[in-house]
Amino acid sequence: MEAQQQRVVAALEKDAACCGWNFCGQRLAVGSFDGTVSVYDSHDSSSAAASSPSHKWKVHTNGISNVVWLPPEAGDAIACVCVDGTFSIWEEVGEDNQTIVWRRCFLLESTSCGILDVKFRVFSESMKMITAYSDGHVKIFELVDALDLDKWQLQSDFQNMVDPVSRFGNYDCFSASIAWKQWEAQLQRAPASFVLGFNSDSPQLNSSKIWEFDEAHHRWIMVGELALPEEKGDGVNAVAWAPNIGRPYEIIAVASCKGIAIWHVGLNPGPDGRLSTKKVALLSGHDGEVWQLDWDMSGMTLASTGDDGMVRLWQCNLNGVWHEQAALDCGTVQT
Amino acid sequence: MPGIPSDSASLIPFSLEGSSQPTPIYPLQHGLRSPLRRIHISWSCGNLLHVTCLGSPPEHDEEMVGENDEIGGKAVEVTLGGAILEGNIGEDKRRRIAYESVKSFAFLHDKKISLAKMETGDNLSAPALTYWGQYTLEYSKSIRELLGIARLPRSLIEAPKTFLKEGEQPFGTKAAWELMEIFYVDMQMLSWLPERLVDWLEEYDSLLSKTESTVHAELENLQRKLTSLQVIENEPDYWNGLAATLAVGWLDMVVKLLRLHGSYDPDQFDKRETENGLVEAVVLLVSEMPRMRPDLPNRKLGICYQTKHDYIKGLEKWRGKVSGLEASPFWVHCSHHKTRDGLINLLHILLGDAKHIADATCHWLELFISHLLYIRPLTNGLEGMSNLAEKCMHLKPSANNGLTGLLVGILSENPEIVLADCLKAFGPWIVAHAVDLLTANSEYTDELLNEERYQLGGASIGELYMLVYTQALASHPLTWQVAPAYLSTCLNQGRGLLEILLLKQPVQNYRTVLKTLEICHLYELANISTHIMKMAGMYQWKHGHKGLGIYWFQQSRDKTRLSQIAHKLFDNISKSFSDDSFKQWEGLMELLGSDVGIAGGLEFLHKYRDFKKSLQQVGHGRTTEAGKKSTELLVQLMRNPSTPQRFWLPLLHDSVKLLEWTSGPLLGVSETNLLLGKLQELSMAKSRPDFYGGELTANALAAVRLALAKNLGRAILEES
Repeated sequence: MEAQQQRVVAALEKDAACCGWNFCGQRLAVGSFDGTVSVYDSHDSSSAAASSPSHKWKVHTNGISNVVWLPPEAGDAIACVCVDGTFSIWEEVGEDNQTIVWRRCFLLESTSCGILDVKFRVFSESMKMITAYSDGHVKIFELVDALDLDKWQLQSDFQNMVDPVSRFGNYDCFSASIAWKQWEAQLQRAPASFVLGFNSDSPQLNSSKIWEFDEAHHRWIMVGELALPEEKGDGVNAVAWAPNIGRPYEIIAVASCKGIAIWHVGLNPGPDGRLSTKKVALLSGHDGEVWQLDWDMSGMTLASTGDDGMVRLWQCNLNGVWHEQAALDCGTVQT
Repeated sequence: MPGIPSDSASLIPFSLEGSSQPTPIYPLQHGLRSPLRRIHISWSCGNLLHVTCLGSPPEHDEEMVGENDEIGGKAVEVTLGGAILEGNIGEDKRRRIAYESVKSFAFLHDKKISLAKMETGDNLSAPALTYWGQYTLEYSKSIRELLGIARLPRSLIEAPKTFLKEGEQPFGTKAAWELMEIFYVDMQMLSWLPERLVDWLEEYDSLLSKTESTVHAELENLQRKLTSLQVIENEPDYWNGLAATLAVGWLDMVVKLLRLHGSYDPDQFDKRETENGLVEAVVLLVSEMPRMRPDLPNRKLGICYQTKHDYIKGLEKWRGKVSGLEASPFWVHCSHHKTRDGLINLLHILLGDAKHIADATCHWLELFISHLLYIRPLTNGLEGMSNLAEKCMHLKPSANNGLTGLLVGILSENPEIVLADCLKAFGPWIVAHAVDLLTANSEYTDELLNEERYQLGGASIGELYMLVYTQALASHPLTWQVAPAYLSTCLNQGRGLLEILLLKQPVQNYRTVLKTLEICHLYELANISTHIMKMAGMYQWKHGHKGLGIYWFQQSRDKTRLSQIAHKLFDNISKSFSDDSFKQWEGLMELLGSDVGIAGGLEFLHKYRDFKKSLQQVGHGRTTEAGKKSTELLVQLMRNPSTPQRFWLPLLHDSVKLLEWTSGPLLGVSETNLLLGKLQELSMAKSRPDFYGGELTANALAAVRLALAKNLGRAILEES
């Protein structure tokens, strides 16, 4: 059997600095060093590679460091993080004469601390946005009006720490990674949960922690920590929460300097309010830093990429043993 | 969809062994200049992975800028896991098989559900199992038909020197399917297992190896040579080919080849009657070879025996004739040595001489089938066959490919290996469909493949393979619709994956949304369809198709969004009172109906619209009747507690011309007092911080007060 088939779907303009695919995998937003965003459309497998964007506009005078699509429940919208810390949300709208434009609907002016990661999720009645800042703060916003992306209300502001005493210190974070618990909760009104890890100068801040929203007290509580005692200070480069299509446990992947750890996490908290956690595998293969992790839609295959220029694919075999199934060699990467 | 096949490892095999094999590494064809700056990954639907490579920041030295520097990066879509089906077939055939096999699959599973409903216990009773076996056999046959008919000669009038069949190239997936049908499903035919394998090999011998010699490959060479050969019986390849063909039991081909012998030529000078008689005697013996099988297809040779007893009797008698011919004195009169040696070699094969058989065959599987046919024709236990296969592999070591590996797996009675090998060699389609074959007549396999496993997240092996197939189907926009039928049979994880698959479908296109909703309806996924309708509604609403947006929100009973739209409507109308802006919103009001939004809110807007319309008529006609009607509506609105306070002043201001009606007061004293009371309330409310005064100024308030005073004065005069 042929193991893979490749097709170039878009040739990006120069200055491309970051990118993000939308939920259906049909639209690609690319942020540039010159502060513009381009959107490329790739509708079907028979169409030729998109050589020019369908939309392009200036977001900011500074370069863009991250582009993230909002969930499709918000229409077609992206969030842009600029290198100076400016954060904006843009949505595609049809005007009266049916011309399609991208309009800015939300702006957070630059502050001394930049946004390291941002993730969105839709719940039955609302949409939430988590932003992780370079000072170690996590802010959770809620969309006030489901039809308008203009109004976001700050719901919570805390730090990724177990010990409340040491919270609200001043830390220097290099990167952060957030992953929402997916699907099942979205459709069954389960409490909102996410996992967050930092790569910072603070050992307490770094380890990946699972946070769950306590509806009764309207606050976020930490329900699990994904690090063995001796690893708690390790900086986390990436986290990914696998879609759960019916497993009796959740699977979360956490990448640190030691490799990619696969964790099994219980579905419900125990009497101590904590979820059961078990590290089932430590996958080493990337020769260097892991940049990103992503689960396929079944949560059976994990893809990872890093500064060794490889995309690695990981699977669990029929005996429950995790291993590298295949890899794609993208070539040398600038160090 | 799927690509070109090769024998490289598949990316999604879910093997048993896992890490023992070196990881296959594939280069990503992005064509960018090294070094790259960043690699971004994102899974799309199914096995589609988007890998976006971003190049290094541009060079500022213009002289250094080449053509490729204009490209900042490439987004590459990688379809992992390859084709859904082993691939020496076209894309259209693959897709057709995917579409059509789902019918047979769904039919079989419907039958399974019906049978289970009739049973009281957890397990099927013996009669139900018999029915199930029959249904599975029908299913297997229908899939086999779908995969393609057996090769037939192109014409009944065959070319005289053509002995090999021509037609559609055999197809590995079909060969594998038939092999599984032989061993797992067609239980009535188990007694004729060796003969079934002979038939199978005749069809698929060419697939045994691409690099090593096979009987089929030898015959192809011979076929090519035949046209240039003057005296065929002088050619060693002719006799080798004959021996090989006989060894694997393709008797009709043996007879046809023998009759190409030069001694049949009518125009010859030498006397070759004896030689010809010996050739024909062998032809006769070959044609009368006892076969342990119920029947033979048309044009196939041999004599069928259905019972072991009759067969043994027939075999002894026939072997006696073969031995008799071998010891015949006529051989000394055969002057053509190659013919004599060749024919005697054939007789040795017929008599089951192991050495001659081993010499005649090329591949271990051919040797294995030869043994079954001539030496151990009554073998039917898998253990015995497995030992024999091992012996043959030892005698004729050849690299195993997908088919031979599958046979070894079957003979070793390990269904997990069978499925894993099938997945590797033939893709996920066959595995998803073969689970029913493997479990049809074996309780053990049924338990093994359907047992829930914690390490697989509660899924069984059978379910896992089904998920793997649906992932492959989901990777293409033309096949994803087939996936739900398979996912619906996966009790643990099928529904979860189906929900995600449906939610992943784009919502821009109305028809696509309808198709997705149809599937939701079919599988009773009401919450998913609601979600999809909300997404479609948002997309349309945002893209300027307000009506379609509202339609989807209404379909999804999205009270939150409809209520927010109603609020917007309210705000917009209350902010701007011009007739034009009202017209702009009128269509939306119609769509929203009156029961949506804030308590009584839209009901008010509908009444407000009626009032505005009647005012327009007043403006055009200026009849007292129209004026009275408008005044009635005004009073109704002002009396209605659901009329928002912010609308009071605009309503009164709009009504100034009614209050100053020249031909007489339209409002009575009590009605005017009601309006004055409302105006008083408004004046008091102005001091409150939450008061919303709209765009109307204090002048408007004064104008209304004056008009009301005038009307009251005239009404008092009229009523007194």
